[in-house]
Amino acid sequence: MLEIKDLHAAVDGKEILKGLSLTVNAGEVHAIMGPNGSGKSTLSYVLAGRAGYKITSGSIRYRGEDLAALAPEERAAKGIFLAMQYPVEIPGVTTLTFLKTALNAQRRARGESELDAMGVLKRVRARASELKVSEEMLKRALNVGFSGGEKKRLEILQMALFEPRLAILDETDSGLDIDALKLVAEGVNALRAPERAMLVITHYQRLLQYIVPDRVHVLSAGRIVREGGPELAHELEAKGYEDIVRSAA
Amino acid sequence: MAAVETREKVSALAEKYKYGFVTDIEMERAPKGLSEDTVRYISAKKGEPDWMLAWRLSAFRRWVEMREPNWARVHYPKIDYQDAYYYAAPKNTPAKQSLDEVDPKLLETYNKLGIPLSEQMLLAGVAVDAVFDSVSVATTFKAKLNEAGVIFCPISEAIRDHPDLVRKYLGTVVPVTDNFFSTLNSAVFSDGTFVFVPKGVRCPMELSTYFRINASETGQFERTLIIADEGSYVSYLEGCTAPKRDENQLHAAVVELVALDGAEIKYSTVQNWYPGDEEGKGGIYNFVTKRGDCRGRDSKISWTQVETGSAITWKYPSCILRGDNSVGEFYSIAIANHYQQADTGTKMIHLGRNTRSRIVSKGISAGRAQNTYRGLVSVHPKAANARNHTQCDSLLIGKQCGAHTVPYIESRNPSARIEHEATTSKIAEDQLFYCLQRGINPEEAVALIVNGFCKEVLQQLPMEFAVEAQKLVGISLEGSVG
Amino acid sequence: MNVALDARRLKAAEEFRAAGVPHRRMEAWKYSDLRPLIDAEQVASAPAAQWSIEAEGVELFDPAAGEGAFAGIMGEASLAFATATLGLRVKAAGRVRIAFATPGQARLRIVLDDGARLDYVESAPGGGLQNIGTEIVLGRGARMTHARLAQRAGGARIGDVSVTVAEGGCYRLHCADFGSDLSRLELDIKLRGIGAQAHLSGTSVLAQGLHADVTTHVDHAAGDTCSTQLFKLVAADKARAVYQGRITVRQGADGSDSRQTAKGLLLAERAEIDLKPELEIFADEVKCAHGAAVGDLDADSLFYLRSRGIADDEARALLIRAFLAEPLDEVEDEAMRAALWAAIEDALPGAMGQP
Ligand SMILES: Nc1ncnc2c1ncn2[C@@H]1O[C@H](COP(=O)(O)OP(=O)(O)OP(=O)(O)O)[C@@H](O)[C@H]1O
Ligand SMILES: [Mg+2]
Repeated sequence: MLEIKDLHAAVDGKEILKGLSLTVNAGEVHAIMGPNGSGKSTLSYVLAGRAGYKITSGSIRYRGEDLAALAPEERAAKGIFLAMQYPVEIPGVTTLTFLKTALNAQRRARGESELDAMGVLKRVRARASELKVSEEMLKRALNVGFSGGEKKRLEILQMALFEPRLAILDETDSGLDIDALKLVAEGVNALRAPERAMLVITHYQRLLQYIVPDRVHVLSAGRIVREGGPELAHELEAKGYEDIVRSAA
Repeated sequence: MAAVETREKVSALAEKYKYGFVTDIEMERAPKGLSEDTVRYISAKKGEPDWMLAWRLSAFRRWVEMREPNWARVHYPKIDYQDAYYYAAPKNTPAKQSLDEVDPKLLETYNKLGIPLSEQMLLAGVAVDAVFDSVSVATTFKAKLNEAGVIFCPISEAIRDHPDLVRKYLGTVVPVTDNFFSTLNSAVFSDGTFVFVPKGVRCPMELSTYFRINASETGQFERTLIIADEGSYVSYLEGCTAPKRDENQLHAAVVELVALDGAEIKYSTVQNWYPGDEEGKGGIYNFVTKRGDCRGRDSKISWTQVETGSAITWKYPSCILRGDNSVGEFYSIAIANHYQQADTGTKMIHLGRNTRSRIVSKGISAGRAQNTYRGLVSVHPKAANARNHTQCDSLLIGKQCGAHTVPYIESRNPSARIEHEATTSKIAEDQLFYCLQRGINPEEAVALIVNGFCKEVLQQLPMEFAVEAQKLVGISLEGSVG
Repeated sequence: MNVALDARRLKAAEEFRAAGVPHRRMEAWKYSDLRPLIDAEQVASAPAAQWSIEAEGVELFDPAAGEGAFAGIMGEASLAFATATLGLRVKAAGRVRIAFATPGQARLRIVLDDGARLDYVESAPGGGLQNIGTEIVLGRGARMTHARLAQRAGGARIGDVSVTVAEGGCYRLHCADFGSDLSRLELDIKLRGIGAQAHLSGTSVLAQGLHADVTTHVDHAAGDTCSTQLFKLVAADKARAVYQGRITVRQGADGSDSRQTAKGLLLAERAEIDLKPELEIFADEVKCAHGAAVGDLDADSLFYLRSRGIADDEARALLIRAFLAEPLDEVEDEAMRAALWAAIEDALPGAMGQP
């Protein structure tokens, strides 16, 4: 599904990713862990195609296609979804309006018929109640004044609504209370399917208890420095990054 | 990159001027140029009484001595006032017409403009007084309004049929010699709208006038006078379109509103006169004087404007808060693209006690346009406990446009409280990226974000107008979701 | 002596005579009318201002060279007519205390070499016609702190300051004005080099029929420039306090950041406060905001203090001090800050309607 080879990427002329390679197959869930500033969010932005994040060498192939050639919204329409570490506030734009606009834009791009207001509302409501996102929140401007946890829940709601093929979750667990963490994990697990893959960026082993990953990668200074199974997350929790980072250097 | 493309696309938003067509109808014109004779000609054509002619002539005599203002941030070649027609009317217009009698070509024009003069109109419950160049040609809903005692007619008719009312109020809000353009208007105004809402009456429907400049080289000088008597309410909608032409056309309207004790007037404008082409050629010069007088206690006047058109806009809908406890509001969206220049804002003059005003201005500049907010909040010594809040936000799209804010705050009463805030920014990159990541294309993303930026103002518009306004702003708020 | 400057002065004289003494129909002087106080002839023939100066680390020079820049028309007049001139050059670190002793006209030019620092304190007591034009040039990375104390006075007192700041330079001003028949400080600051900064703050505390007008224009002409303006005005009796602040961001000055706050406290029925914050933006990669407010002392705060047993007058004084504290905190020099507070304490009873 996703094949990253020797990826170098720079932000504002500063190289952040320095030779990162990673393969994720359909049906798999991979966790990415690593110290602050190691480049996890940068990787997620590069995958989503954010302006200013420049691939200087290496390649990213997504379902056989060169990702670099696609605009962010094309990537979205092709099934790449990024739940952001810091979801953005858009004043004046009602959450529901936003969801409808995005859902229909993706459907249009895929040649599917657009949904009317009621159609969108029905789909949103079904997911919203599972994730405890209230109707009142849907009527408010997107993310404006939402608490940290509410923003994260809304990201997962969008993931559920858009049914992406490759979901990247950038620290979706931080800022969530325990109940919300379970809700989010359930939402993610419900989406696990043979044709889907997920990249879960997290600092905490706790999330990985609920979403058991197939592989765990440790990112440090822009490269993967260690890989392993779910047990690696436990090891990190116990020992921290220092040893791994040092032995990699 | 995608983000860069966005700019071009956004700039394209306002350019799709779909009203640029000319209706081929024979026109009757005054001879070119402006003199006392022109003024007499217009007055005679309208069959006006002597007092009206005298009023016009005194305005003309003052105008000759006045100088064109130059303080606004707008630049245009000198206007030759002798090189224009001051009166143009479709030929063969008998005085009164029912809708069926109206020239089908005219109706077609209105249809192209999207003015629903037919059944949709009935459903919408909107009465339309359509002004085609200078003569009002079709008025609907007279009956229903008559029943409520509301007078809604062309001002030329009001001068004839309700001279006492007109004489009592005309020029009392915008004095004849107020400014260069309003004085010109006073001399040569050819038609416009008159509304009188009697005591205690809530006008049973939204009143609406569509103005349209059609004849070439014709200045359009409407005069609108709205009087809301004690305890009454009226909501008035004004939409403007004009065809594409290479030359610039002058439009110098005057609007006067009078709200007596406890009365409320809501005045909404969607202005999309032809803005000129992408090189800045052609377009309307929109030099308009709009002022409301909250003459009575507890009265309220609210201006909402969506200004997307005109090559140059010079317009400051204002409120004189004379009556105690009166309220003035100004909600504005001004979009300037390509070579458009907009200098617009408001004046809130607090004279009475406990008067309150609120100003929300959203300016969007794109292309090579210059967009200026200019506003005055003035609190006079007797205006105890006056309150004003002003929010002025500017959005820049592209590197060659300008956004300017020029507020004047003058307070002479210690118990008054005035607050003003202004910000200038471009569309935030993270907001744009968030939308793109969710699959929304850049053009739509910008429309969505700009929509959000303008929300507070759009909400003020009556539903019938909000839709058109949103489209004009380049926004999709399709359906009723949210 | 200097041909270029002579020509410049002649032109300035011509322009001033053409424009005449500034009055309220001139947009920039809308709230300050000089006409009733002086005429053009008085300006042209104003005596040379005298001053006492204490200076360290500065070289004196004849300022008859240079650009002859000014912020406004009275600055132009000082360029044209001032016979008293002074040039100060700082090569490394300097300290200047200057007090203008008599009414009159003067023209100063202050030059900071690259990397130089200057701590400059000016007192302009006014009386009669005082018109001091100051031209300040900051080299790369140069830093200047400018404190100006304008004591309560009579007559027309005008300070006209034109500043250019090169790359990485920083100009800081704090001005305190206690009013005159007409008192005006007009500043024009050009942030010419990348990363240049200007931070302006000020207080005006006025009673009786006194007037003080601070007019600032900060021109962001290069990228990544930064400016702040923070002004607090108090007007009592029949006083009139004015702040006009224009921020310009030129095309290409991306990364500019500008923030302005102007607040007025209006304490009496016949006092007046006029604010004109203005933004003029020609670049899109900018952060610009201004806020302005006029009002009386907050009734809730007043009530709270009184409910704790603090007498009305004292409570008011407390709140006025709190209102003024923010800009004064901008003053880095402690002795200066103490002097300004002392001046405010002197002015407070008057501002509160006490004799
Ligand atoms: N615009 C930028 N200019 C320069 N450096 C940047 C920029 N954006 C990010 N960086 C740097 O890139 C590095 C990687 O940042 P990134 O956000 O990818 O880290 P992260 O692994 O997600 O960290 P965290 O765990 O704190 O979320 C950091 O050192 C950060 O400071
Ligand atoms: Mg991160």
